[in-house]
Amino acid sequence: MAVTVAPAADRVTPPRVDPPRPVRTRHFVRLKLRLMGNNLRGQAWRISLFVLGVCCGLWYAVTGFVLFALPALADEPAWALPMAGIGGGLLVLGWLLLPLVFFGVDESLDPARFALLPLSRRTLVTGLFAAALVGTPAVATLVATAGLVVTAGALGGWSAALVAACGVVVGLFVCVAVSRAVTSAFATMLRSRRVRDLAAVLLALLAALLGPAQIAVINAAGRVDLDAARTVARIVGWTPLGAPYTAGVDAAEGRAWAAAVKLLIGAVTLGALLWWWSRSLESAMVGAASGGPAGGRSVPGGAVAQLFPRLLSWISRDRYGALVAREARYWWRDARRRSNLISIAVIGVFVPVMVNVGSRGMVDGGDFDASPTVLSGSMLFVGTLAALTLANQFGFDGSAYAANMIAGVPGRVELRARAVAFSLYTVPLLLAVSVVMVFFLREPAWFGVAVGSLLASYGVGLAVNMYLSILGAYALPETSNPFAINTGAGIARSLLGFVAILATAVLGVPVVVATALLGDLWLWLALPVGAAYGTGAALLGAYLAGDVLDRRMPELLLTVTPRR
Amino acid sequence: MNRSAPAALALRGLVKRFDTKVAVSGLNLDVPVGSFYGLLGPNGAGKTTTLSMAVGLLRPDSGSAWVLGHDVWASPLQAKQLLGVMPDGVRLFDRLTGPELLAYHGLLRGMDPAVVDQRARELLDVLALADAGRTLVVDYSAGMKKKIALACALLHSPRLLVLDEPFEAVDPVSAALIREILQRYVGNGGTVIFSSHVLEVVERLCTHVAILAGGIIQRAGTLDEVRGDRSLEEVFVEVVGGRTATGEELAWL
Ligand SMILES: Nc1ncnc2c1ncn2[C@@H]1O[C@H](COP(=O)(O)OP(=O)(O)OP(=O)(O)O)[C@@H](O)[C@H]1O
Ligand SMILES: [Mg+2]
Repeated sequence: MAVTVAPAADRVTPPRVDPPRPVRTRHFVRLKLRLMGNNLRGQAWRISLFVLGVCCGLWYAVTGFVLFALPALADEPAWALPMAGIGGGLLVLGWLLLPLVFFGVDESLDPARFALLPLSRRTLVTGLFAAALVGTPAVATLVATAGLVVTAGALGGWSAALVAACGVVVGLFVCVAVSRAVTSAFATMLRSRRVRDLAAVLLALLAALLGPAQIAVINAAGRVDLDAARTVARIVGWTPLGAPYTAGVDAAEGRAWAAAVKLLIGAVTLGALLWWWSRSLESAMVGAASGGPAGGRSVPGGAVAQLFPRLLSWISRDRYGALVAREARYWWRDARRRSNLISIAVIGVFVPVMVNVGSRGMVDGGDFDASPTVLSGSMLFVGTLAALTLANQFGFDGSAYAANMIAGVPGRVELRARAVAFSLYTVPLLLAVSVVMVFFLREPAWFGVAVGSLLASYGVGLAVNMYLSILGAYALPETSNPFAINTGAGIARSLLGFVAILATAVLGVPVVVATALLGDLWLWLALPVGAAYGTGAALLGAYLAGDVLDRRMPELLLTVTPRR
Repeated sequence: MNRSAPAALALRGLVKRFDTKVAVSGLNLDVPVGSFYGLLGPNGAGKTTTLSMAVGLLRPDSGSAWVLGHDVWASPLQAKQLLGVMPDGVRLFDRLTGPELLAYHGLLRGMDPAVVDQRARELLDVLALADAGRTLVVDYSAGMKKKIALACALLHSPRLLVLDEPFEAVDPVSAALIREILQRYVGNGGTVIFSSHVLEVVERLCTHVAILAGGIIQRAGTLDEVRGDRSLEEVFVEVVGGRTATGEELAWL
């Protein structure tokens, strides 16, 4: 810092100050690296999580690399186009959907923090974009798609390899830009009072896209047909999804003009995405309205009457009732919880429905045989996913949880109330799933099995996630973006989710086994037994985990309090 | 602490270490019943850490805290019944409206719904928050958030109020109002301990003060004992030992 101290004698002349140095993209990258480093400092478990994340990323990167390079390695040039087109398209689609639905985006460089700095929009967007490229997922994607360069090089020599390399870089940029632009746009929409519900519906539709995608993949994997794959890849190759990734193949097969046009498509897409992102960034920077009900007018009725939603008028006006009422309101009012609820609900509901019903329709007359056991198994999955939403239930509250500690709410009451409030949304949903499934399978007699399995797995899942939410809680950043997570939290989230799913599945399997073994008798018994099993498990979970919570309240508060 | 008249709040040997930094190192403090206690200290002295340990939000590495003879960490339920707390740097359940938040706190404390309704209405009126209507607390201004947090702490008429920086960000009229509310509360036999950086308010309100610096109580006692015949500011500066004038630096300002 070369700030010169003005001599006391000539106070009249203004002190000399160096002209500000321009902010460059590398400053953002350095800032991001520094934030990642500080985040790891002195905390062994964070470091091990980080290492684990890098290992996972490496695993995916190597697998992807081998797959993309396979046409060259196995000397099957005809497969180059399908691999690049379909594989690349799926990759972009994954970058579009997964942050929205599962993982969130690492927004450790929160745009709102730059609001006061004199930065042009261009500097800010390029800087934040460059910082977004720093991270395990982006690096893993780059390494994986580098396999395309190998393929193109083997087929078409150096020039094709060069084109493929350009395509791979542009493709990575498109992937990262699409994830940023879409999450940021949704965050803006979910904040706005006017289009909030529209955004919820859109989000649900996008999440539901995972269903058909899954069917398509399963289907395609079932019958691998080179010609069909080439046709699909050719079409995808001309959309922004596959264009940058197929450019190398075109160059190798001697269509230089096609390669050039495809790179151009990629670049234009990138520009458009960045422009879109910069628009929603602006609104993210000028602060967040909550999107709650409009102020001003006061409501009739006392304070207590206002706390309880009308549908909850049957709940007692005491500590337990207040907890349930507040949680019920929060699942609706908090953008983060809402988006969680929506996406998990849609995935948990539509995917199994479509897989069950869809695969039956497509393999008509084939060896697919709908049976109560299959139904029970898929319902196990739905119930497990529904309960998984609670895996970080205290993280949603953040430091606000201190209020419950100060009031001395016992752990058991706390957990029971939270589970009940969440079930107010999920249980009707689960019942609806059962009805839909039974309707599509045209087997009304299986209704009991469907509901019984759902309730059993959901109840068991609640119990498992109660434990997890206490022992494996992590802080969510206090930003206006409900999809934002801290660096490393994505890995923690997947890891904990995996543990929860595994534990729930193990505990829920008896219901499936009973369905398989007990035959027709179970069709009648499934509903009462499953409901009792689920309810019992949830109550027992709340009872046992409540003790753990009572002992660990201060530690829990510390872990869910975001460090600012 | 089984004397005939236990202190409203007694802290014994509290220690808290964050990683390498010792935030509070062996702190002892007695807050007599009926006192109006001011806790002073420079930024980072450990006031928030101390008060958090005293009310059961942060587990001390060692030491204990007693509220009217109940150990906060051994029998938290009895202690917390007697406590009203306004923490600093902690969010409220701010996706609720003001009245909803008050109702929530009241019912959590096991109060009768009719009483909650009546007290909530009075508190909102007095603190000039009734006009906010259906605005969510997250959309309140900083001062309004302080006021609703104070209302939440007062609602169940606790025996001991622990307030972390209650006068930060509130306007002069509201500050006067809060002062009057607290004075009336102490007049009716309650005890208040609060941290503050506003020495005039402390001098005007408090019967007792403690000055905390570097994680240790440097001075504690009645207001007159601590300040002697000087002003509180002079004593504070002397104890804390910070610089009060800038030298050659900052000439570019
Ligand atoms: N969660 C934490 N992790 C690490 N260090 C912490 C944490 N909380 C507080 N500290 C450290 O403990 C010390 C005391 O902090 P504390 O918040 O108690 O100060 P304070 O007296 O309330 O200051 P202020 O007047 O600014 O509110 C500070 O040096 C702070 O850096
Ligand atoms: Mg403080």
